[in-house]
Amino acid sequence: MFYRRAGIRHTRYQDERQLFPLGFDRGLIIVVIAILLAAPFIFDRLYVSGYLLPWLIWTSAALGLNLLMGWSGQIHLGYGAVMGIGAYGSVHLVRLGVPLEIAMIAGGLLSATIGTMFGGAALRMKGIYLAMATLAMQYVVDFVISHSSVISGGSLATLQVPPVRFLGIPLQGDLPTYYLAFGVCFVITLFMLNVRRTSFGRALAALREKDYAAQILGISTFRYKLLAFWVSSFIGGVVGSVLAVTYLRAISPDQFHIELSIQILAMIIVGGLGSVLGPFFGTALILFAPILLNNLLGFTASTLGWSLPIDLRAHLPLMAYGALVIGFLLYEPLGLAKIYANFRNYLLVWPFRHAQR
Amino acid sequence: MSLDRRSFIAGSAALAAPFALPVRVFAQEKIVRFSLPQDFTRIYTFVTSEYNQGQRDYFTLVNDRGGVSGYKIVADITDHANDLPRAIEAYERGKREGAVLIDPLSTPVARALVPRALEDKINMITAYSGRSDAADGSAFPYVLPLSINYWTQAGLIIEQFKKTEKGSLKGKKIVFVHIDTPFGKEPLPILNVLAKKEGYELTAFPYTPPGNDQSAIWPQVRRARPDFVIFWGAGVGQTVALTEAIRNGLPMDRVSGSVWLSESDMDVVGREAAKGVMKVEPCVGGREPKVIKDILAEVVGKGKGAGPENKVGTAYYNYGVQMATLMVEGVRKAAEKAPNGPVTGPWLNEGLRSITNFTAEGLLPPTTITKDDHQGGGMGRIARWDGAKFVPITDWFSANQDVVWEEIRKNSDEFKKTGK
Amino acid sequence: MDWILLAELSANGVFVGLMYALVSLGIVLIYKTSGTANLAQGAIAMTGGYVTWALATLVGLPMWLAIPIALVGMFGFGLLMERIALRRMIGQPVIMTIMLTLGVEIMLRGLLPGIFGAAVKRLDIGLPQQPLFVGELLLNRSTLIGGSISLLLILLSLFFFNSRFGVVMRAVADDQTASWSVGIRVERAIAVAWGLAAVSATAAGVLWGSTQGIDWSLSLLLIKALAIAILGGLDSIPGVLVAGVIVGVAESLATGVLDPLVGGGSRDVVAAVIILVTLLLKPHGLFGRHHIERV
Repeated sequence: MFYRRAGIRHTRYQDERQLFPLGFDRGLIIVVIAILLAAPFIFDRLYVSGYLLPWLIWTSAALGLNLLMGWSGQIHLGYGAVMGIGAYGSVHLVRLGVPLEIAMIAGGLLSATIGTMFGGAALRMKGIYLAMATLAMQYVVDFVISHSSVISGGSLATLQVPPVRFLGIPLQGDLPTYYLAFGVCFVITLFMLNVRRTSFGRALAALREKDYAAQILGISTFRYKLLAFWVSSFIGGVVGSVLAVTYLRAISPDQFHIELSIQILAMIIVGGLGSVLGPFFGTALILFAPILLNNLLGFTASTLGWSLPIDLRAHLPLMAYGALVIGFLLYEPLGLAKIYANFRNYLLVWPFRHAQR
Repeated sequence: MSLDRRSFIAGSAALAAPFALPVRVFAQEKIVRFSLPQDFTRIYTFVTSEYNQGQRDYFTLVNDRGGVSGYKIVADITDHANDLPRAIEAYERGKREGAVLIDPLSTPVARALVPRALEDKINMITAYSGRSDAADGSAFPYVLPLSINYWTQAGLIIEQFKKTEKGSLKGKKIVFVHIDTPFGKEPLPILNVLAKKEGYELTAFPYTPPGNDQSAIWPQVRRARPDFVIFWGAGVGQTVALTEAIRNGLPMDRVSGSVWLSESDMDVVGREAAKGVMKVEPCVGGREPKVIKDILAEVVGKGKGAGPENKVGTAYYNYGVQMATLMVEGVRKAAEKAPNGPVTGPWLNEGLRSITNFTAEGLLPPTTITKDDHQGGGMGRIARWDGAKFVPITDWFSANQDVVWEEIRKNSDEFKKTGK
Repeated sequence: MDWILLAELSANGVFVGLMYALVSLGIVLIYKTSGTANLAQGAIAMTGGYVTWALATLVGLPMWLAIPIALVGMFGFGLLMERIALRRMIGQPVIMTIMLTLGVEIMLRGLLPGIFGAAVKRLDIGLPQQPLFVGELLLNRSTLIGGSISLLLILLSLFFFNSRFGVVMRAVADDQTASWSVGIRVERAIAVAWGLAAVSATAAGVLWGSTQGIDWSLSLLLIKALAIAILGGLDSIPGVLVAGVIVGVAESLATGVLDPLVGGGSRDVVAAVIILVTLLLKPHGLFGRHHIERV
């Protein structure tokens, strides 16, 4: 049902190899993109700048980290710091008068340079040792940012983003900021969809499965590990600057702490490690479950009149966050993307379940 | 494209489902909506529940008495956990539901919301948080601290030390122990300027946030043999600082904190041991003020209290009531100017910025908010812990405002230049 | 240079470090037997503190009774955690277990303050506050006692490894498959390791809770504990002891020497730098076994 395969006959190899061979998938994606493009005109501002905008930004970040963790199998507990480097780099450049387009790329390059040093650790260790090393780097970067007033911005430690233009359009109000975030997310998604069809993507996959086996096959683990960190950090840096310019508008060091790293990690885990669709689902759940729960609790308290003690009520979202992470790891380690895939597979052959390949 | 109608509807329904949130509808009455997203779970846990309880109790009191100038106050409370996406969502939600005032009670959140609040013309209360330079109303028309900022608090403390030393701090040694965050470093410029002016020697000791281990700091403080100690932190850092000060045998009557010190901190430190420590009081503590008595009689006494009764009258509870009285007074003033509204941000802004000599029947120092001064005059007093409660040792006073305003102007000019 | 100050800082650092080491003990126990990194150790310490506080204040038990009950209860909690969550993770990639323990940490940090209230709680186990002077040096009496108790407990755990069950656990640590084949119940050994880790965390939670008060920030002990575990070698208990002292002294001295130079609290970053330097120079730590594979 829906995902109809009947009547699709590929006559050329290119057709067989395209990203979405099924017509319905293509249609669904076009519909989703159309809705997202039209969102500022159909939905209320609350949903655009309160939900869709952070969703797109955080998803972009999660995709970048997923390249590293899902594709190449490295562990990174300091992605928040990488984003922070990009954000600070680009905001400083913008304040110096560099156009935003260049500043974003430069922020990405700065992140990539420093992020590759994180990767340097990966050459020597893996598993929990790598996790600890990146965790430690997160703390070091935090410390450097917040303790050099040149970087963090004077005694108030807040760096205001000046009014900027992107491709000649002033980034003010909801529309331009939303479309910038959308554009960046779109490009990153496109890159992620295609990367696994490149030699780079396949090298990363080989690395993930067994690094010395990859080395024996002639894939330079040295090169590809660093490259994975480079690309992922570059994406992180660009997303960091997008986050600063479109969403935060004033950055301070505490916005890029370990909590952000763990949050993005949780998005990947809940969404599905190594999937492109996963981060979209995972971000939505991790970002909005606490908000929805909060609103729901507020709603029940004000209309039904039963209310929990304030301490318990306030902590429920945090518990839910933890429970979501635990629950997915225990019951669906492949995340929401897998749940969607199950659903899709079910419909694909419905009603002939036994025809499943 | 094989997209039939059914799947399109199903798809869009699935997409729209998360957005179909319940939106509360209220009967058509004159209401003023306040949005109070605060941090109940992360950094500001030590203050939020009491502060918020005070606010809600006062709003209940006002509403039960028939509102203010015919307007009822509706307060939406959510938890933003000091997390920006959640705070911004709460802000946008509040704005959509017609809130004209937001009180996030968190410095990082307030900083991120400043550009939005200025753009959307929504009054943002940044009591004891946010940017200190927001006291300059000409640069931040919609950001209202309505309370003495950290620079003023530091100025008050130094003035009190000066009084203790009979008018001169020349050659004295003052140690400033602070949490190593922007908030902790904030008073430094003022303390440095005053050090030059008054001739005391200032040594600063930063500790790592959140300050649960300061065992290596206080031996150094003791060795510096200070005449006075100022400790500057929040939550667990405060209690640990005091405990360590006691363990290092510092004379407690020469130690002072900012406004962030409460009775429950004293319980953790030990009520007897902490005897003598000073703090800045921005409003009257305890259950003596008439407003608190009214709340006890009319709200808590009737079982409508928003939280445990024993919290009523604690320092942070009273801060909450203090802010709530100022907000309500703003509504009253606004209704005086334009009785029929419409209830918008600018409407309330007019009211808030014309509060004059307001004392909330003896709860606050005389507070006057003007278009230039959002701090409210900069009055506070110093109180001393006597083992059971904080006893004021001075009257309401204001000090070193010239230095403070110089710093405010310096920073707000910077904001004007780069911000907008 | 003020030598007396340095001596004083080092002396206090030793005992603070020992108190950190007690948190770290659990991480090492678990890693030793099952090869999993437990990033929830800080939150478990916090849980232990809260439970003790609840038993003493809400139930009204005297402290000498509340602490043992809390220790026993938390032993059960550790067993339960292993049984419900960690056992399902066998065979999964490392990131999964790391994330799982992080998830547990997040949930505990919400659960306990949610139930018992977020404000700082006072836990008075009768440690004296007055300063103790040894010549010119001032020793912090409560950390002195806390550190000594930690030292005792860690030594006790060393002796435990010489007992019958301790030998079983060492066998499991050495080779799981081989232990299995000679009839050792590997799962049980791992479960007991989790239980003991929770017990040591609780002891640490009580000691830290009595010096700083109990609230969520107890879970921040994790980063120090990790630094100690890494420096000592993730699978060495004597390593914990030595590394604890080193980390404690280094942090304490950094606060005295480094802070004025960088103009900020360098305490946390010291732990991070220790982790980094150890991993880059000597990844298996001071006493750990050489088993890291490199490519």
